[in-house]
This record gives sequence, structure tokens and C-alpha cells, in this order.
Amino acid sequence: MAKEIPYLHKTYHRSKTVAVFFLCFIVFIGLAGRLAYLMIFQSEYYTQKAKELHERERSIKAARGRIIDANGKILADNKTVCTISVIHSQITNPEEVIEVLCRELELSEEYVRKRVEKRSSIEKIRSNVDKSTGDVIRSYEMDGVKVDEDYKRYYPYDTLASKVLGFTGGDNQGIIGLEVIYEEYLQGQAGTILTVTDAKGVELAEEGEERVEPVSGQDLYISLDMNIQSYATQLALQTMETKEADSVSILVMNPQNGEVLAMVNVPEFNLNDPYTLPNGMDSAAFSEEKKQELLNAMWRNGCINDTYEPGSTFKIVTAAAGLESGMVKTTDTFSCPGFIMVEDRKIRCHKVGGHGAEDFVQGTMNSCNPVFITVGLRIGVERYYSYFRQFGLLEKTGIDLPGEAGTIMHKMENIGPVELATISFGQSFQITPIQLATTASSIVNGGRRITPHFAVKTAAADGSHMELFTYPVRENVVSAETSETMRYILEQVVADGSGRNGAVEGYRIGGKTATSQTLPRGSGRYIASFLGFAPADNPQVLAVAIINNPKGTYYGGQIAAPVIRQLFENILPYLEKIDYNVTGSTDGSLGKD
Amino acid sequence: MAQRNSTRRRQQKSESFMDYSLLFIVLFLLGFGMVMVFSTSSYEANLDFGDSTHYLKQQLFATILGLIVMIVVSNIPYHFWERFAALAYIVSAVLILLIIPFGHEAGGATRWLYIGPISLQVAEVAKVGMILFLASLICIMGKRIRTRKGFWTVLLVPAPIAVMIWQITNNLSSAIIIMGIAVLMLFVSCPDYKRFILLGLATVAGAAVVVFAVVQMAQSQADSVNFRGARILAWLDPEAYASGKGFQTLQALYAIGSGGVLGKGLGMSMQKRGFLPEAQNDMIFSIICEELGLFGGIAVIVMFLLLIWRLMIIANNAPDLFGALLVVGVMGHIAIQVILNIAVVTNTIPNTGISLPFISYGGSSVMFLLIEIGLVLSVAKGIRLKDL
Repeated sequence: MAKEIPYLHKTYHRSKTVAVFFLCFIVFIGLAGRLAYLMIFQSEYYTQKAKELHERERSIKAARGRIIDANGKILADNKTVCTISVIHSQITNPEEVIEVLCRELELSEEYVRKRVEKRSSIEKIRSNVDKSTGDVIRSYEMDGVKVDEDYKRYYPYDTLASKVLGFTGGDNQGIIGLEVIYEEYLQGQAGTILTVTDAKGVELAEEGEERVEPVSGQDLYISLDMNIQSYATQLALQTMETKEADSVSILVMNPQNGEVLAMVNVPEFNLNDPYTLPNGMDSAAFSEEKKQELLNAMWRNGCINDTYEPGSTFKIVTAAAGLESGMVKTTDTFSCPGFIMVEDRKIRCHKVGGHGAEDFVQGTMNSCNPVFITVGLRIGVERYYSYFRQFGLLEKTGIDLPGEAGTIMHKMENIGPVELATISFGQSFQITPIQLATTASSIVNGGRRITPHFAVKTAAADGSHMELFTYPVRENVVSAETSETMRYILEQVVADGSGRNGAVEGYRIGGKTATSQTLPRGSGRYIASFLGFAPADNPQVLAVAIINNPKGTYYGGQIAAPVIRQLFENILPYLEKIDYNVTGSTDGSLGKD
Repeated sequence: MAQRNSTRRRQQKSESFMDYSLLFIVLFLLGFGMVMVFSTSSYEANLDFGDSTHYLKQQLFATILGLIVMIVVSNIPYHFWERFAALAYIVSAVLILLIIPFGHEAGGATRWLYIGPISLQVAEVAKVGMILFLASLICIMGKRIRTRKGFWTVLLVPAPIAVMIWQITNNLSSAIIIMGIAVLMLFVSCPDYKRFILLGLATVAGAAVVVFAVVQMAQSQADSVNFRGARILAWLDPEAYASGKGFQTLQALYAIGSGGVLGKGLGMSMQKRGFLPEAQNDMIFSIICEELGLFGGIAVIVMFLLLIWRLMIIANNAPDLFGALLVVGVMGHIAIQVILNIAVVTNTIPNTGISLPFISYGGSSVMFLLIEIGLVLSVAKGIRLKDL
């Protein structure tokens, strides 16, 4: 028996040991299954996560595309600047790093210390540092300090066309102007350097680096002509000074295809220093909010962002509508006693004694309000409103600049005879200068509503990947006959009418003056303006000058027309040498004679 | 008496028997472990000590010492140790208590005693001590083990040691292993199944209640979840605790997951480069998976399965109950530790520090595991060849 007992024991001992083994076996199988799940089905997820953990990404800025004028002059360029950053784990002497960076970058110690001591893989201290300063910092050869070169926007002509071109922010992104609208072409594609590092951020040389080269932005070729722009700027500045005006805008465009040759809004600002308030304003004296408001005002492009009552220049529209509808003929005669009664209102002509008997052409030459009120009333509200819409005045022009203001106009059902009368000579509603220029262009160019624009094409720096821009054109806004008549009448205005100060010897000029009182009436503030085009029989260039709140004489015919005359005297001979219609515009079929 | 006489006869007949299968499996695991310790530690060792073989040398020293001790132990008849069973229990308890005044701290836990140049992790001593003590105790208890009193005696006697290890050395995992060894030895020595199934179910239910309670607590008052509670939350969603309790687990998962089926190749791990701290320790299995892929990971599991299978064969052919229980204890120790380690590394259970037997870096662990293998080899020597 003594022998049997251990044997019996061993039977269940054995089976139980086997049970333990199989229990372990099952658990092991389970763990192997778990392992297989992680390493097959979750593998992609964790591999990606691990890759993100192991790789440090440094971006390489792409060179922003340049902006190039009609003559090939570079208006917006790039210059090399440096970005200074620190890699926490590689810094061996933090105090030296803090001290040197504070001194060379003129930053507060607190600011630098916070970034140097932050436990992150890479911390940017400052970007857009001059290359010379970057070279100095590099010469200290401090561990953990990286000096990366990149590009900063640079505007060779400082203030030239500032409100058109716009400028870029710290990350080279467009902030206003063409820089914003053509961001996708200009910005290019940033490249990256991917390096594999250990947990401390030390790059592992044996793993090599993966480099994605940046793609430079496309160059933007615009219709703006730097020579015309700078001359117009000089004229505008001169006028602003002598007339003590608040601001002066000059707009020059090709009425045939909508290419803008110059757009001046003085005072301009320095594109290389866009955050400094105009002279005499201490930025420290204002709250952040107020400062931003002042900056926004400084950056504002009056030609497209602001609306005004156009006044008599709008008689071009009334005249075109009247002729087109057949409600007036050039030979129709009118009589001006110096005022006209509309319902119970007496609306005065600017000539107190009246113009007496005159035909329609003479009425336009005189800029006679009673004549245009009469024509407006003949057309009637509904028809006038439909012409207003047909000429495109109710829509934005679609110019390639941000923030274009819309037209502020009565609703049709609210227009009575008095409102219609005031609209007829350009009051009681507001449009932008670019809207006026565009509408006038389509009336004198044969009736094609063009889209004003700057951009002609984009292309890579080496000329490849060229892309031409096309802009919508709406035909038959007015008939060819009406257009021809309008050119004739407006030529008479300059030749022997209220616009005679706009005449240029040896050239046929058409145009129209305007003097509008700003709201509220009786404030003594006026806007003097003149719209002119040449040659009068086949307009190739159309210019508008707007003088905002001049002191002393404020009549458009007296102060605005001479500005355009001077402009034309200089640019017409210049334009004859250049054929702009070759620059790649889409509807350049109507070439210069 | 008769039993003892027959045992002695068997020993004499097969004096030269050596279980080479077991020995080779162990040697293979040791060699493989050494390669992996070097692979996982060389990068950090080079940065910290300027010597990429720093950890490898220490591990090599402990392994050689362990192999010598193993050979010595294997040549001593295992019944020699039976008389020291009670002493082993007392020595374990004393060593743990010595930690309070003399303990050496590392990594936030006080687990080591320094004896001259050698550091000793007392929990490893306690594990061997407990196997010896319980084997002896169960043999003395004989049939009484089948009673309820006997059942609870075997469960409660190791409890003080386990509680001391848990509380004094802050080492829950070793406490769990000691209790696990006790349960397995009791299971094998008892014919009953029902009690163990109930015990198992109770453990599972208890764990579920704890997890549920922690989750509820975390939802009601986020701040009050303590150290171990946070571990459970990190286990459920390691990515939500990526910078805290879930960090190590998440890094291990990155390593395992990025290994894929075939691995990145030996030595090519990225995670060992500082991302997974002390990769040569408890988390070494994740680096094995990263470098050697699913195949490498499964191969390691298969090797351990072979080892446990071999231990089962030896236990079932042991000349007597004492020998069988010694082997079952060792088998339980290794199996539990491997299972818990791989489960932790794959985030199957909450994170708790358990090393992978024979492979993880750690002198005490390898030394005492080899002593246990020495005991098993000694038991194996008593097996008559025809029994196999």
C-alpha cells in the first residue's frame, strides 16, 4: 500500500500539471493573437505614429513669386533674411545663447529665456532677421542655435502703387492688394526637411534626411506701368499739396480691354514698413484697436474701397441712356432759365442766370443740369433703372483687388421724379471711382462692358507654366452708334466746353468734369473730378482724377481737368511708343491705330 | 521510509542523467537575451556611460555567475534543501524588512539591498524561498491539504511575504507572482477543481469591480484617482495619458506596431533611442517585436512554451512529490512572469513592472532564475530514463 499511495497521488498531480501547462498554452495563444493583431492590423497606425515621433520636420520657405509691371520692372521682390531658432536638447550653454540672442536680436531677456528653456524640439526665436545679423549669430557657433535662411518680401519702390500691390505678413502671406488676390499663384509651396532623430532631438546621421524641395511661387505680370504710375503719383502729390486736399486719386486704364495702367491714391504708404502710421502719428499714443483702425484707413484703396457721389461725370451715363432709348437726339433743343421745377421742387443749375437756349450737345458742354433732368425724366424711372442695370452699375466691376465696394443706389420702387432728377446729374447715389471709369469705358469703347484688372499672366521665373488670365466682356451695353455719338459729344466738352482745361494740344481728348458736394450738404466740402480719354475717336487710354476736399477753387473743370491734361501731355507721347495690346490681353484685337 | 528508499535507488541508477533539452532551451534564451540586451541598451549606454557594452557586461557577469551557481545547485540532491525550507521563509521576510533601513532606491522604488558590490533584489530571493518553502510544507501536510483548512493554510502562509513585498518594496507584480506560484502549487497538489474555478472567477470578478470602480471614480472626480487607479485608466486609453501613466505603454505599442510582420532588423529599432526609456528592462519584448517582427515575437513565445512544456515533463516524472512540486513552482514562476510581461507590453493588462525571464536586463532576476533551473536539473537527475 505504501507504494500505491504516491502513485495514486501522482496520477492527479500529473493531470493537474498538464492542466497547468494547457492553461498556460491557451494564454500564450491568446497573447500571440493579441501580438498578431497589433503587428498586422494595427501596424500601419502605430508605424505612422512612430514615424511622426521620430521625424523632425523643418520647413523650407518657398520664394514668393515676383510682381512685374508692363515693362518688366520688378515691383515686388524677395530678399534673403534669416530665421533664428533654438533646439532645446542641443543647447550646451543656455546662458550664452540667451545673452547673445538678446543682444543681437534686440529682444527682451524674458522673451528669449522663455523660448530657450522651453522643452520642445525646435523653438523659433525670430524670423525676418537681416542676413548680416544672421551671419553674426552664426559666427558665434553656439550649439543648439539654428540660423535658417529664407525669403522676405521686398518692394524696390517703397510707396509706389502701395494700395494696389499690397504687402505680406510674417509668414510671407499676402495681407492686402494683389498679394492677397493672387496668393495661390504667388505663395509657392514650402519644402520640408525630414530628419530622423532620437528622443533628445539629436539627428541620426545614418538615417539620412528626406528633403522635399520648395516650389517657388509664380511671377505675376500686371498691366500697371511703373512709369505712368510714378508720374501720376507725382501729379497727385503735387495736387494734394497745392490744393490742400485730403486725398487725390488718379486712375488710368485702357478702356478697350480693362487693363489698369495706374491707380494712385495719395497719400500712399511704405510697403516695406506697412505698420508705421503716417507722419506725425505716434503709434504708442493709440490703443491697439485704434491703431489697427488707423492702419486700415492708411491701407485703404480709395479707387475701389470707397464710394462717392460722382456728380456731373455721371451725365455720361444719362446721356448714353437718353441716346440709346431715343428719348434725346443731339439736335434736340432745350432752354435753361437757371433752374427747373420737378414736381414742387426747384432744382438749380450751377449757372445762376441759366444757359438760355441750347441743343443737347451744348447742354452737355455746359454740363447743364436742367437739360439732363429733362432727359432723365423723359427716359422715366423704369427705363432709366434698366439702363443703370444694363451698364453694369448695380454690380461690382470684378476688379482683381480685394474689398471692392458696391454701388449704393435707391430701390427702384423708391425712385420718384425728384430722385430721378438728382440721379440724372449724378447725385443721391454712390459708386466707386473704378465703377465710373469702367462704365465710361464701356460707353466710349463701342459698347463693351470690360472687366478692369491688373493681372495679365503668371509664369514661373524661367518662363514655364505660363497662364494667361481672361476676363469677362459683355457686348452691346450700348449700340455702336450711341457710343460714337458719346465720343463726339465728350470731345466737344473738352474742345470747347466745361472741360476745356483738359485739352492737350495735338491730341483729340474727350472728357467730362464734375464737382460734387459731399454729404452732409452745406459742409463746404467738395469732390472735384475729371474723366478724360484719348484719342477721342478711338479711346486707348482713359483717366480719372478725383480731388477730395480741395481748399480754394473746387470746380472739377478748374482743378481736376488740368491734372489729367498734364498726365496726358506726358503719357500720350509715351504710350504711342508702346503697344500695350500686345502684352497678352485677351481682347487685344482692337489694336492701336 | 519505503518511498525514500526507492528514490535513493533510482538516483543511483541514473546518476549522470542531465536534461539537455531544458538546458539548451535555457542557454538559448540566455544567449538571445544577451543579444537583445546589447541591442536595446547600447545606444543609451553609449550616451550615458560612453560605453555601449555597459549593460551587456553587467548582464554577462550575472549570467556567468548564475550558470556556475546553477551547475553547483544541479549537482546537489534537491532534498538537501528541504531542511532549509522554514529558514528560506524567515530569511525572505528578514531581507524584505532590511529594505526599510538599508534599502537602495532606483527608479522611484526601494527594492535593492547592497551586499558589497552586488545589488540584490529581495523579491527574487523571496520567490525561490517561497517555492522551496511551499513544496516542503505541502509534503509535510500530506492528505491534510485536501481539507478546507489545508487549502487556506497554503494560501495564507505566503500572504504576509506577498503583502510585505507589495507594501515595503512597492512591487505589486512580485507579490502577484508569489501568490500565483502558491495557487499553482496548491492546485497541483490538491485533487479538487471546483475551489480553483471559484477562486479564479472570484479573482476575475474582483479585478472587474476594481476597474469599474476606478472608471466611475475618474468620471465623478478626476483628481482623486491614485497611482494605481491612474494606471488602470491609462490602460484603457493610453493615448489620453500619453505624457503620464500611459507613456511607457504607448511607446511600447509604437515599437510593437511599427515592427510589422518581419521587423526592422536586428539593431534597427528606433524606439530604443531614448523614446522608450530603459528599453533593456521590462519593455524589452516590445523592442524584440520592433526589430524581429511578429515572427521574432512569436518565436520567443514558442521558446517559453517549450520551456514550460519541458518543465511539465520533468514535474510529471519527478521521483517524488517534493521534487515535482519544486518543478511546478519554477514552472509557475516562469509562466506567470512571461504571461504578465507580454500582457503588459501589449497593453493587454494594466502596466506593472515585470521583467521577461532570462531576457530582460537584471542580475538578480537572472541569478535566481538560474538557481531555480539548477533545482529543476537536480530533480531531473532523479528521473529514470525509462520513465520518460
